[in-house]
Amino acid sequence: MPPAREPPVSEVVLTGIQKSFGANPIVKGVDLRVAQGEFLVLVGPSGCGKTTLLRLIAGLETIDAGELTIGGRRVNDLPPRERDVAMVFQSYALYPHMSVRENLAFGLALRKMPKAEIDARVAEAASLLELSGLLERKPKALSGGQRQRVAMGRAIVRRPKLFLFDEPLSNLDTALRVQMRGELARLHRKLATTMIYVTHDQVEAMTLATRVAVFNAGVLQQVGAPLALYDRPGNRFVAGFLGSPAMNFLDVRREGASLAGKGFALAVPDGLPPNEGPELLVGLRPQDLVVGSAGPLQGQVEAVERLGFDGYAYLSSPAGPVAARFDKGTNVAVGDSVRVSPVRDAVHAFTADGSRALRHPFESVAREAAS
Amino acid sequence: MKLWHSYRGAEEEALEKSAALFEQQTGEKVDLLAIPNDVLGDKLTAAIPHGVGPDVFIFNHERLRSFQHLGIVTASDGSIDKSAYFANAVDALSVDGKTYGYPLSLKCLALYFNTRLVPRPPADTTELERLLPGLSRPDENRFGLAYETGNFYFHAPFLFGFGGDLFDAGGRATFDTKGMVRSLEYVKRLQDSRFIPMETSGALVKSLFNDERAAMVVSGPWFAGEIAPSVKYGVAQLPRNSETGRPMSPFLGVEAAFVSPRSAQLPQAQALARFLSVGAASRLRAVTGRQVPANAAAYEDSAVQEDSLISSFRQAAANATPMPNTLEMARVWEPMKLALRAVLQGGVAPAEAGALADRRYRALHRERPPDASPVPYLAVGALALVAGGAYLARKPRALLPFRRRYPDVARAAVYTGPAVAGLLVLVAVPFVVGISLSLFHHEAGSYSFVGLANFADILASRGYRISEPLSFYFTLVVTVAWTLVNVVLHVGLGLFLAILLKEPLLKLRGVFRVLLIVPWAVPNYITALMWKGLFHRQFGAINGFLVLLGLEPVSWFTRFSTSFAANVATNTWLGFPFMMVVALGALQSIPQDLYEAAEVDGASKWVQFRRITLPLLRPALLPAVILGSVWTFNMFNIIYLVSGGEPGGSTDILVSEAYRWAFQRNEQYGFAAAYSVLIFFVLLGWSTVTKRVTRATDELMG
Repeated sequence: MPPAREPPVSEVVLTGIQKSFGANPIVKGVDLRVAQGEFLVLVGPSGCGKTTLLRLIAGLETIDAGELTIGGRRVNDLPPRERDVAMVFQSYALYPHMSVRENLAFGLALRKMPKAEIDARVAEAASLLELSGLLERKPKALSGGQRQRVAMGRAIVRRPKLFLFDEPLSNLDTALRVQMRGELARLHRKLATTMIYVTHDQVEAMTLATRVAVFNAGVLQQVGAPLALYDRPGNRFVAGFLGSPAMNFLDVRREGASLAGKGFALAVPDGLPPNEGPELLVGLRPQDLVVGSAGPLQGQVEAVERLGFDGYAYLSSPAGPVAARFDKGTNVAVGDSVRVSPVRDAVHAFTADGSRALRHPFESVAREAAS
Repeated sequence: MKLWHSYRGAEEEALEKSAALFEQQTGEKVDLLAIPNDVLGDKLTAAIPHGVGPDVFIFNHERLRSFQHLGIVTASDGSIDKSAYFANAVDALSVDGKTYGYPLSLKCLALYFNTRLVPRPPADTTELERLLPGLSRPDENRFGLAYETGNFYFHAPFLFGFGGDLFDAGGRATFDTKGMVRSLEYVKRLQDSRFIPMETSGALVKSLFNDERAAMVVSGPWFAGEIAPSVKYGVAQLPRNSETGRPMSPFLGVEAAFVSPRSAQLPQAQALARFLSVGAASRLRAVTGRQVPANAAAYEDSAVQEDSLISSFRQAAANATPMPNTLEMARVWEPMKLALRAVLQGGVAPAEAGALADRRYRALHRERPPDASPVPYLAVGALALVAGGAYLARKPRALLPFRRRYPDVARAAVYTGPAVAGLLVLVAVPFVVGISLSLFHHEAGSYSFVGLANFADILASRGYRISEPLSFYFTLVVTVAWTLVNVVLHVGLGLFLAILLKEPLLKLRGVFRVLLIVPWAVPNYITALMWKGLFHRQFGAINGFLVLLGLEPVSWFTRFSTSFAANVATNTWLGFPFMMVVALGALQSIPQDLYEAAEVDGASKWVQFRRITLPLLRPALLPAVILGSVWTFNMFNIIYLVSGGEPGGSTDILVSEAYRWAFQRNEQYGFAAAYSVLIFFVLLGWSTVTKRVTRATDELMG
């Protein structure tokens, strides 16, 4: 008999976690396993319960039901300070009366660490985050990005089992956000500690995560690698949440070999289970729709976004609003009547209520390529 | 003719009727002007020398000598028929062999007795002592006799009954006399036998008599108006002292009509004053005003005879001792009060009390410092002005033409005018007057320039040792301790309650918050009086509670420590809500996520409080602490109303001590002003220190 496997020290396991505020259920039974060293991004719209879930893991809120283990130890009833986690707050929550150095050393001094070691760790974190010249300043005298880095440094020096990030980049401007995103990724590579990161920004989710957990209305929708979720969304919510502009959804009815919608018809794609339907939902990413003079869908251009290399046209069609890509050279103007055609095999199909994906695109292409 | 007085109600009505009678009989017009009693004296001394005063005024005889000294009263010799009045009333109006004014009415103490409990008043102290044990039930808070034991005015009949004298042949006050010792022993015995209550105030006497818990009361005519209609009472003169055979003679106060020497119609003014004191006017005074006439003929009227209150007081007044109208009398009160209370509280034996009073008398009786020449002071002042001007002129901006520096000066003046005027009137003028006053000595209405002598006396603690409560240094130490203890308690309690109130889980938080602010909203003198009552030796709720717990009741105001503690308790009750409100506001401004971050960082609740809450409260609390310390340093009301400085003035703080020098110790305004200037310098030093601390905190917070 093989020996019982010791769970890795910082594996986080959530089992049936529930949380209500008064009569409002916020987290409705979440099961999730975050592996050692993983960078898990919890993503979802505002108010979906992702921050609450993070605070439940940190211990800042009490768990109503379910079980939470960190490194194999049940921590439901442990106060935050005994969970050995570090958290970076959206507001940074720097201690305004302490210098950067004192902010960084605060958690270490509380653990009665020898002064020499505190100094070493602070110096290390400071050089890692380029804070070395700012150690004697008060938070008031720092820029937004510098404060952000201090907040991060305060987490790093602790060398915790688990990092928790609550929308840490949302208060920064775009350029800084891109820069800090890069630093975060670098940090994760360097520290290789488990991180759980909450954001509503899908770009952060896509770029940072080892795995992404999409959350909506207190329910975990789907967990997986970023591209897997993008390519194979499990339901309409995940499909619509990831990707920008959002996926177009069109109601259709299976009629023989075609899927008929209002004012258009598509061929039934390969791999669509025949016993589903006839009412179905078709999903088409704007990137997979090309504006031109031909195609099954017709619509009136309502707005145009030119992004440089290409652009997006927003149409009103009999089947509803549709976004579609066009190339730099294409002439598109508001008011034009255009036609749109999907690239080959681009169709996502869902049950009519969107709760389950029935088909993902390009799989036959991939199969063909493989064979 | 103008007549000034301070009567109200029925007494005023009687005066108006008399004046109308005078007008009818003589055709002279009389203008009456009523002025509140506490300011009338000062108005008279200010107005008459300038020729804008009244022709005739009505005043108590106690200030006669000072009036005579200032030349604002005319002798009535030659016009007055002394035989028309009680002899002692005329005596009261004599200064250096001359008589001033016409006696109108008499005030003295008599014995009120509850006729249900005491069918026949005691004629002498033997009878009194026979009655008292049966009337007193200490366990039920019932007493045979009640009067304001700590007030010398009420003790005087005992002193005189034992043949004591207040003044020696040279007119100087004497305390260390046989009569004094025996009278103190006597009342101490009454109190120890629980025949009379302890720490008795006027309000207590009134409520005891109205509840029929005091069978007899020693008080004046004014007390009749305070007796509940349900209590049936009689008035008799105070009993005779059986040991000496002398009557227990109270002080006699005489209200008199005085004539101003500046009157344009002196003969008519004399006629008016005389008219008011005799005949129909004096009957009106008795019947309508219910005052006790000094005119003997008034008592022939049947209506006056039937008024038992008036006839009783007339008998009492017949045996009364005119209150000396000398300056010396004004110096007796505080030493006597000190001695009386020290004996009654048990701190000093009756035999030693006289010496104690004598020592205090000598300490308070400052000889007038030698006159100083104002020239050096004026020179220093002028030099300071020149130096200030030169300093301003050195600034280059100051050399610019005024119009260019302040192009819109007219509009600025309009905007700032009200504030500047207010500051001038409320701050600058009193400040300059106060500082100037501190260089003068005041005695009997006249000021003499003495330079820094007042300061020298205070700082050298002249007349008393540094360890005595009268010493500036003793009081300074008490004041600092008082401030320190209070501020620590205010901040501690305020912070503690603020933290409790911030707790969102606390039910009825809003209700508690309002309730805890209430002490702040109640006027502080009312709170002080309530606490004074709570700390009463026999009737106070606090001692009641201690007894309930099986502990000994505490005589709060007989020892420094307990008296100080009583003051502190009262002021803490008053002071914590302010700190609580400030702390609550500051607490709510600390972001919650700092605590969460600290929690995750590993900080316990205590560490969070110490490392997050306290440092972040500091910028908000520090100004409140500085303000609070200054308020407490000058918290006159509590000291004056709760402990009153007892025991022996030891719990007085600087500001209450300054008040006593000005208003209770022979009007030593200059000396009191010097105290105030010293207080100002102490607080100036304190604010310099705190300014530095505040600046350091600002830097700390970045």
